[in-house]
Amino acid sequence: MQALAKSTPESNMKKYGSSLAKFQSLIALVILCLTISLLSDKFFTVDNAWNVMRQISVNICIATGMTLVVLTAGIDLSVGSVLALAGAITAGLLRNGIEIPAGNLYIGFTLLGAVVAGLLTGALLGAFNGWTITRFKVPPFVATLAVLTIARGFTMLWTKGFPISSLGENFAFLGTGWFLGIPLPVWISGIIVIAAVVVTNKTRFGRYVYAIGGNENAAKLSGININRIKIAVYTIAGGLAAIGGIIVTSRLDSAQPNAGITYELDAIAAVVIGGTSLSGGRGSIMGTVLGAIIIGVLNNGLVLLNVSPFWQQVVKGFVILLAVMIDKANSKND
Amino acid sequence: MIKEKKYFLLLIFSFGLLWGCKNKTTSEQPKKIAVIVSTLNNPWFVFLAEKASAQAKKLGYESKIFDSQNNTSLETDHFENAIASGFNAILFNPTDAEGSVANVMRAKAASVPVFCMDREVNTTDGATSQILSDSYSGCVALGKYFVEKMNKQGKYVELLGLVSDNNTWNRSKGFHSLVDHYPNLKMVAQQSADFDRNKAMEVLESILQANPDIDAVFCGNDAMAMGAYQALVAAGKADHVKVFGFDGAEDAVNAIKDGKIEATAMQFPQVMAETAARYADEYFKGKKDFPKKMPVAVELVTEKNVDDYIAYGKKEPDQQKK
Repeated sequence: MQALAKSTPESNMKKYGSSLAKFQSLIALVILCLTISLLSDKFFTVDNAWNVMRQISVNICIATGMTLVVLTAGIDLSVGSVLALAGAITAGLLRNGIEIPAGNLYIGFTLLGAVVAGLLTGALLGAFNGWTITRFKVPPFVATLAVLTIARGFTMLWTKGFPISSLGENFAFLGTGWFLGIPLPVWISGIIVIAAVVVTNKTRFGRYVYAIGGNENAAKLSGININRIKIAVYTIAGGLAAIGGIIVTSRLDSAQPNAGITYELDAIAAVVIGGTSLSGGRGSIMGTVLGAIIIGVLNNGLVLLNVSPFWQQVVKGFVILLAVMIDKANSKND
Repeated sequence: MIKEKKYFLLLIFSFGLLWGCKNKTTSEQPKKIAVIVSTLNNPWFVFLAEKASAQAKKLGYESKIFDSQNNTSLETDHFENAIASGFNAILFNPTDAEGSVANVMRAKAASVPVFCMDREVNTTDGATSQILSDSYSGCVALGKYFVEKMNKQGKYVELLGLVSDNNTWNRSKGFHSLVDHYPNLKMVAQQSADFDRNKAMEVLESILQANPDIDAVFCGNDAMAMGAYQALVAAGKADHVKVFGFDGAEDAVNAIKDGKIEATAMQFPQVMAETAARYADEYFKGKKDFPKKMPVAVELVTEKNVDDYIAYGKKEPDQQKK
């Protein structure tokens, strides 16, 4: 019977509604861009476009992982701290290696080795999130809040509270270089987005992610290994946060112990503005990308127009609120 | 049942872990000094707290660092805990000049002396002594050098720290008290970058889009100065835009040596921390009259004198290896 319902008017309405939601954030973005470009002639330039794209690339990395997590009806608050720890591990290994005084041992790291170690750190922390959430039924909000603190603590221990700087030109190239006329961070985030779009739309894993968020019990009854999918999702989110951390570290040529504070909020904002429902099961990667672009354009525009820093926070808050209000009104129509 | 047992064991294990973290106590029970610091999320304050704690230990006291995480109510908890667990003095770096007053008064009521470091609390009879960094004058000196370097004309950008922080405005006001007298020095943008290196880079990247022809950037701390420099490098403008910072962090001192940024204002966290610890020591030994406010000068560091300085301080005569 369910299968027959495919072409009823209601389901068509639903389809129409969700494409309208995508449309709405796109319209919001266009209005935003038009307004800013009316007020500043410096906004609509190729240079500034790359500038915005490069600045949002880190948020896109994090927010892509966050979208997957939110689609399963979870949340990951630890990404900012994971980003800091992964960046610090990479920078520390690259610069100082590991010394084991007891064994009189010194292990040096190549660029690739240090980057892989950073990525593994992120993935491991993500897997840990997934493990506590599935194995011990800790609510995602609490589990990842704990890891937010734990990872920040480890970052402090590893860096002793001081930045690790001067990491060499090869490493700096990752964050500041260009390839075929496009900044490398934009390449990296672009590839991640394309991969995520393919995974969510074309693979069994992607369908399971939506299914779990839509109705976890139904998903379980239909034989999906929920725990495995969830652990995988949090691991991916951790790994993507680590990529973000490596980009930030490389762009600054320095790993800051306080990097990434409140980045989780920017990522969640991008996800929500992009129309992904916090109760799971509904949303898309492209929506999140649009959300991240809106936040990036807003940040960029407010600075270009030299708006007072006090007002900037007020404006940003209202834009997020507005986006979610539109989204809510939309889902009521469904 | 089995599950409960498992959790119980886990609980016991974590208590054991806590026990292991506890410092060994010696039998003679030395006096205890608490170091309560506004945040450990910034290397400058880590340095301040560690030096204060180290000096207290060197003078023979037990010492512990409390991190208020820029949160005045957490600071209140730390004060209450420190007083309740019998700390005899508090070396204090307040989160907020107004908000921290009540905490200082709390300690005073319990007759625990408080010595403020770097930042002040707005009360004259709360703290036993306040050893303060003179941010305002430091920025006046920096402003003077700025005017000289700019030849009294040009466009500049100011990057502010956290807009909720007293130091942000002390520094900005000090700088503007001098620079604003020169009408040909035009500030084309004033934005906040939260004392953060990454934020400073991103904000300046955007500012450069609107104002590609700036001549200088004044930053409220060195982390932002380094971020601003990074943005200028990426834009290919690092050679002709002058960057000014504040703090005396390692990266900035090195950058001045390499001619990357123009100047910074050196604060002396070590001097402040060690003075505070020494005062506590003298207090225990019976001295009761301390200067209510003891300003510690902030020194201008430029290419001319940078060789006399290291991170967060001046080179000692016997410190030639650095």
